[in-house]
Amino acid sequence: MPQSSIVNLKSVSLTLKSDAGPVNILRGIDMSINAGETVGIVGPSGSGKSTLMSIMAGLERPSGGEVSVADSQLETLSEDDLARFRRDNVGIVFQSFHLIPTMTALENVAIPLELSGRTDAFAVAAEKLKSVGLGERSSHYPSQLSGGEQQRVALARAVCTEPKILLADEPTGNLDGATGELIIDLMFQLHDAHNTTLVLITHDDDLARKCDRVIRVEDGRVIEQERQSAPQLEGHSL
Amino acid sequence: MSSQSGSETYSLAVKYAFRELRGGLKGFRIFVACLVLGGAPIAGVRTLSSSISEGLRANGRVILGGDVDVRLTSRSASVEEAVWLKSKGQVSEIQVLRAMVGAPATDQRLLSELKAVDNIYPLFGTLTHPSSERANSSLQNLLSNDGGMFGALVEPTLLDRLEVKIGDTLKIGGLSLRIRAVISSEPDKASQGMSLGPRVIISTEALQATGLVQPGSLIRYHYRLDLNDQTIIESFRDDAKLSMPEAGWRITDSSNGAPGIKRFVERVAMFLTLVGLTALIVGGVGVGNAVHAYLDGKIATIATMKCLGASSSFIFRIHYLQVLALALLGSVAGLILGVGLAFVGSQFLASALPVPAVVTFQAGPLVLATAYGLLTATLFAIWPLARARETPAASLFRDVVAKRRWPRPFYLALVFLTFITLVALAIFTVEEKIFAAGFVVAAIAIFFVLLLLGHFIQFVAKVAPKFRIPALRLAIANLHRPGAATASVVLSMGLGLTLFVTVALIEGNLREQVQDQLPENAPAFFFIDIQNQQLPNFVGAATKIDGVSDVNHVPNLRGRIVKVNGVPAAKVAVASDVKWVLRGDRGLTYAKEIPVNATVVEGEWWPADYTGKPLISLDQGAAIGMGIGIGDTLTVNVMGREVMATIANLREIDWSTLAINFVMVFDQNTLAGAPHSHLATAKAGSDAEVDLFRTITKLFPNISVIRMKEALQTVAKILEQLSSAVTATASITLVAGVLVLAGAFAAGHRKRVYDAVILKVLGATRRDIFKTFLLEYTILGLVTSLIAAGAGWFAAHTVITEILEAKWINLPYTVLGTIVISVCVTLLFGLLGSWRALGEKAAPVLRSD
Repeated sequence: MPQSSIVNLKSVSLTLKSDAGPVNILRGIDMSINAGETVGIVGPSGSGKSTLMSIMAGLERPSGGEVSVADSQLETLSEDDLARFRRDNVGIVFQSFHLIPTMTALENVAIPLELSGRTDAFAVAAEKLKSVGLGERSSHYPSQLSGGEQQRVALARAVCTEPKILLADEPTGNLDGATGELIIDLMFQLHDAHNTTLVLITHDDDLARKCDRVIRVEDGRVIEQERQSAPQLEGHSL
Repeated sequence: MSSQSGSETYSLAVKYAFRELRGGLKGFRIFVACLVLGGAPIAGVRTLSSSISEGLRANGRVILGGDVDVRLTSRSASVEEAVWLKSKGQVSEIQVLRAMVGAPATDQRLLSELKAVDNIYPLFGTLTHPSSERANSSLQNLLSNDGGMFGALVEPTLLDRLEVKIGDTLKIGGLSLRIRAVISSEPDKASQGMSLGPRVIISTEALQATGLVQPGSLIRYHYRLDLNDQTIIESFRDDAKLSMPEAGWRITDSSNGAPGIKRFVERVAMFLTLVGLTALIVGGVGVGNAVHAYLDGKIATIATMKCLGASSSFIFRIHYLQVLALALLGSVAGLILGVGLAFVGSQFLASALPVPAVVTFQAGPLVLATAYGLLTATLFAIWPLARARETPAASLFRDVVAKRRWPRPFYLALVFLTFITLVALAIFTVEEKIFAAGFVVAAIAIFFVLLLLGHFIQFVAKVAPKFRIPALRLAIANLHRPGAATASVVLSMGLGLTLFVTVALIEGNLREQVQDQLPENAPAFFFIDIQNQQLPNFVGAATKIDGVSDVNHVPNLRGRIVKVNGVPAAKVAVASDVKWVLRGDRGLTYAKEIPVNATVVEGEWWPADYTGKPLISLDQGAAIGMGIGIGDTLTVNVMGREVMATIANLREIDWSTLAINFVMVFDQNTLAGAPHSHLATAKAGSDAEVDLFRTITKLFPNISVIRMKEALQTVAKILEQLSSAVTATASITLVAGVLVLAGAFAAGHRKRVYDAVILKVLGATRRDIFKTFLLEYTILGLVTSLIAAGAGWFAAHTVITEILEAKWINLPYTVLGTIVISVCVTLLFGLLGSWRALGEKAAPVLRSD
């Protein structure tokens, strides 16, 4: 059964102005990702991987080209429309977690649900926290959690609305090896459970090889796309 | 699942607002303090003045001495008038005049405020006299002619000044009286106006016996009425005009028993409210800074919220609700402090007020003070909030500058609307709207001038040549580096200092005028109630004394303008500063020649042998205020007779010389036949003063002698008390400025620590770094104070020369003192914060970067 593409980038470019002159971050990217696929985007530092993810999430507007994600033409949407698009379709996991420091773990997870107007926001949030093994820490603030725990909260927040796409930007960059593996295992388990499209930004080739496909980015261009064999999970239970 | 933006409800925004405030109020201490400091004086002053006004209204009958007070000057009521008054209710008659009181035993004399009362006085309230010759005696008993001598009640100060005691004899006019009691409280004292001497109370019979009641004597006859049930206060005035149109009497009713005090309280309250509002505006700068600093630290949170789907409007709503909640907290704290201050103030004012100073809960002032606080917070918070809402979600990945440097038009409109509402409240909630409007315009103008100057200073610092001295170079660079507090400090400290300098210079000028300048030019004495037949002997006696000069005398009558060009005075629209000309009796005179210290600026003076129709020479200022000129007519009621006179010329009068001058001067014939007395002035050296006083008071016991020095000292004392209140309130603006200064320096602390650490790493000693900070704050303080001194000088000069039309007196030490204070305060707060920065260890700072 042919898979439909959920992300379509056509000749996408991004140029930023600086005092030293224009900087071409992305140069004519053509790319598509199928629904339910896991994709690893790799490349050296400064290659444009994070920017590519920002474009897909509607966090940045391209200077040129077309961006279609989950049937929405992102370059035509206003700022608030983009925010609502993210709320309804995208989950994002950041390298620096980006939890709201004045909210508890439970409240952080509930944010996207509350913004969607869900009356059962906290009940759903509690379940998601439990699913990442932090059911007992729901009333703790980020400052009271370890790095791995914070990232698990961020992961729960990213998937609580069962988004169509989960974007993860170097999700294990600030974590030690064991914790990082735990996070990755959780992400893949959640992908399997809901068939969420997973886009994983990483500089780690081994991690990228766990995905269905690896896209290599260098100097703002896609230089290689490689289909992988079935991903090997470490099988960490919750 | 899709949902509308309606899911971002206000209740959700409230939830998020309070969740975020869990992080603590650390950055908002200055914010709240600024609102407390600005709101407290407004709440306190308005509460106290409303309570006093309410007290005056509630005790109106006691203060006035009746339901209504009908006043005639220099004549008593005619038989017809007396009958009419009696038909309206119970009438109590008192007579009030200034008279010399002598103590034969000590040969001392002084000017007193003499009051003659009838058997019914007081109609309302009680005159208390705990110390008296006859215990438990009634007032009438104490004043009666007992054993051939009338009695008198006196104020305690008279006993001290004349060195007499209860039981001793006083001489008033040609009558000897016995001091029978000391007045403890006089129920209707407040309605009598300013006093130039201690009170003496005698009976009306006794006054007749003194011989002071002569035709034209300056005596005020008061008829206090306890109206009968059929007569209501509101219609009494109209009824009196209809029934006795020629009477020319002045009617005051108990709803405003002491109009002078009420006016004074309202004016002072208005001015102090405006000063308090200025403090709030200064505090608003602190509010804006606090919000700006807070939102700077929230960029990551705002960007994260946007990543998670929050709209920009929702972001704005969350943070504005936080601002409102804190503004409400600050405003309420300010209210509580303000009401507390009102209580304290009422205790201090207790002896000066004619009514018990009972501070009551007044909803109006408190609501107004709260509104001011919330509007000020909104005005200064909207701009940083509106900019913060534009924070791009991509800020999490890179330093992305928001595309909009200015808020969206909607928020600009909101700022404008808030501003207009604040200005409207300031102007339309006070009686003197024009004054309030002028004050507000001046404050806004100075605000924007200071704002521009702050940025200009940064520009100058940026383009200034690089000095070779490293400390100086760095100090100047710190003035314009991104995030520098320069503009904020110049604005907030500058505004507070400008107001302080303005108030100090105005107060200093008025004090110098009253204490030094005026006495130099003024006559030593004013003599009142010189009778026609006494005049030649009086002039002779005065001029005979060595050291006495410039003995001038003029006829003196009283009259009231009842019509202007045939239109009743009550219906004539006049400028507020000349309303007094049409209000009540005025002094009148007549003259053959132009009075001393006056210049005819329009029209012609009448010839020395003029015998035609009545003519008037009018003060130019009064003419302009009433919108009349040469050829117009004034109808003046003089002792019950109406005289219509044509304005023949306008005079410019130099009132500052305190020479005898009148707003209206008639030609030499029209009033010559009317009963009248004479006024005189005389200059005298210090030694001659004593001789002149003794001679005149001995030879002419009916002539009242006002010593100008004492009168000016009384005025100076009132001025001093007033200026203390004004200076205290103006100081609050300064304190608000200091708070903002402290806040601005605190906000820059982290940067300062980082700078200090890096400089240390590069080899700078603590002394080197300290020198830089010292120079930076000295320059900042000096520049701010110079600007404030200039602005304050300009404002004070305008008030003194253009509004009060007085001569300007330079007070360089006042300005210098302000500059020194400003530099010291800036240095103190700046160096306090910098000292902490110098003490920070380098490693933790470098590690956390």
